[in-house]
Amino acid sequence: MTVLSLPKRSPSVLPGFGLTMGLTLTWLSLIILIPLAGVFIKSAGLGWDAFLALATDARTVAALKLSFGAALAAAAINAVFGLLVAWVLVRYDFPGRRIVDAAIDLPFALPTAVAGLALTALYAPNGWIGSLIEPLGLKIAYTSAGVVVALVFIGLPFVVRTVQPVLADFDKELEEAAATLGATRFQTISRIVFPALMPPLLTGFALAFARGVGEYGSIIFIAGNIPYRSEIAPLLIVIRLEEFNYAGATAIAAVMLVISFALLLVINLLQAWNRRRIGFTG
Amino acid sequence: MPRAGATNSRHDRDEARTRRAPVRIDVEELGKSYGDFAALDNISLTVRPGELLALLGPSGSGKTTLLRAIAGLTATEEGTIRFDGEDATSLSLRERRVGFVFQQYALFRHMTVFDNVAFGLRVRPRDERPRPGEIARRVRRLLELVQLQGLETRFPSQISGGQRQRVALARALAIEPTVLLLDEPFGALDAKVRKELRRWLRELHTETGLTTIFVTHDQEEALELADRVVIMRAGRIEQIGTPAEIYDEPATPYVCEFLGGVARFDCTAKDGEAEILGGLFPVGNGDGDYSGPALAYVRAHEIAVVSREQAEGVPALIRAVRPFGPAITVELSIEGHHDRIEVSVPRELHDGGEIAVGQGVFVRATSARIFPKD
Repeated sequence: MTVLSLPKRSPSVLPGFGLTMGLTLTWLSLIILIPLAGVFIKSAGLGWDAFLALATDARTVAALKLSFGAALAAAAINAVFGLLVAWVLVRYDFPGRRIVDAAIDLPFALPTAVAGLALTALYAPNGWIGSLIEPLGLKIAYTSAGVVVALVFIGLPFVVRTVQPVLADFDKELEEAAATLGATRFQTISRIVFPALMPPLLTGFALAFARGVGEYGSIIFIAGNIPYRSEIAPLLIVIRLEEFNYAGATAIAAVMLVISFALLLVINLLQAWNRRRIGFTG
Repeated sequence: MPRAGATNSRHDRDEARTRRAPVRIDVEELGKSYGDFAALDNISLTVRPGELLALLGPSGSGKTTLLRAIAGLTATEEGTIRFDGEDATSLSLRERRVGFVFQQYALFRHMTVFDNVAFGLRVRPRDERPRPGEIARRVRRLLELVQLQGLETRFPSQISGGQRQRVALARALAIEPTVLLLDEPFGALDAKVRKELRRWLRELHTETGLTTIFVTHDQEEALELADRVVIMRAGRIEQIGTPAEIYDEPATPYVCEFLGGVARFDCTAKDGEAEILGGLFPVGNGDGDYSGPALAYVRAHEIAVVSREQAEGVPALIRAVRPFGPAITVELSIEGHHDRIEVSVPRELHDGGEIAVGQGVFVRATSARIFPKD
């Protein structure tokens, strides 16, 4: 009777949305969402007042401040020096370039405890570097500065490996175009190259930061773990667990999760804004 | 008062710059090699002031390398390049003031059309930089020139290929260049847009009067657009001339073949003449008394088809007929000649029933270019 009948659903150009989306959600639930939800359910059992008391405890706050502060500082340092390393590795050919390139990944592979021990040996007052800076009144090992040093070590590959491919693909003609238009080298890099490197740099920063917040193994050796001063939040969680204070441990974990999620969301929104700004849709 | 005077003189200087007489470019014995491969081999060339010159050749012939060398983007090992007599090899890119349009346009994609065009003005040293209002005025004027008004706030990803091409041109013109260099300016565009832009570029050249060089591998484009054409092959210049000279008097077999639309015959020359398809033609290159093996090139419209009754020239067999267009294209095979040859014949002959597949005819060359065979 009716010749024209509209399909119930307009077929997508890419088939398989239902299947892939279902698998994605199942997988994400199993691997990420359910374990994390457990943290919140456990801490919710505390009641709001008890949770607030645990979360605003002076020692907890100090540990959280150190964890997030040091992770941000280390990610920022890595953004600068990681960019430099990526630049040198991509732009120049020198003997041993492949070896340096391979060495970048070592912090990924090395057990973090080994990294922590090595760094401690180096920066301790009787270590090679520690003994050099001690007369200057500087102390790195067993202070919050030590935490930053460990996180810089751990986070470097993230920035290098995200910036490197983008820089390698960067169209050389764009730099030549800028030069023929009269731009100095500095103007070319700051106005043409750098804006193109912003998105991967931000991604690298976010990854290094996230890794830094969660880092445990290398820090506990170099930080000295002095409560209120050089004690990180993940360590405090372990301490609470060893005291069988599960509620206290999950409370700290929940606060960490919320702050991490908020910061990573902000970085992602920044990325999206940056993409929109340069005329990419979608 | 002195302030007003200073602004005035600066204004005058800017105006003078735009209206400066077009530049002459002298390329002298330029050489450049990549390892064993000679990209440019002893190139000498004079580009006349205000001329629109085409560098024509297949890929790998060195045409883009030559263009980049003139721009200062590629360093050369030998020879000099002079702009109005001044050695340009010692000038920085900034000092050369070359307007360069890249094949893929190389637009800054994080900048709007307006910012792209304004870039060259904004990066000038502070004391030479025009004020923001002046920059805006100039950018608008340039966008008007390239017919892109109203697209100022778009990003390169939001406009078409032809529009990007014109943004790239406006950006290059913004620095008030001494010369304009274009690398395959229409290479990435479809046929219809190419045709339009070609005419438009010709007009733009008349308007700006800039000495302009463009690179192309499309012989039709070069012959149609340029005042003079430089044909390149393997890092050397094969021939320089006006389109008419190149077309009528190709200097070498290579030029003949590169321009295309020719049939090639092996023949034997005797005392500076060779017989080809029933006609006797002189050997080119001023080789007045050359005798020996030679190559003959005959264009499709230089072969006359005559009916069997007249029996002039050599016999041929019609293999295919393409009966459309102002002249009809006929494919013929000639005894003793391997390739089929294409011939244009007037419509009347076809309509008279003389031309049909399988029919025997006679062909005769009315003109040919003969070269000694090396």
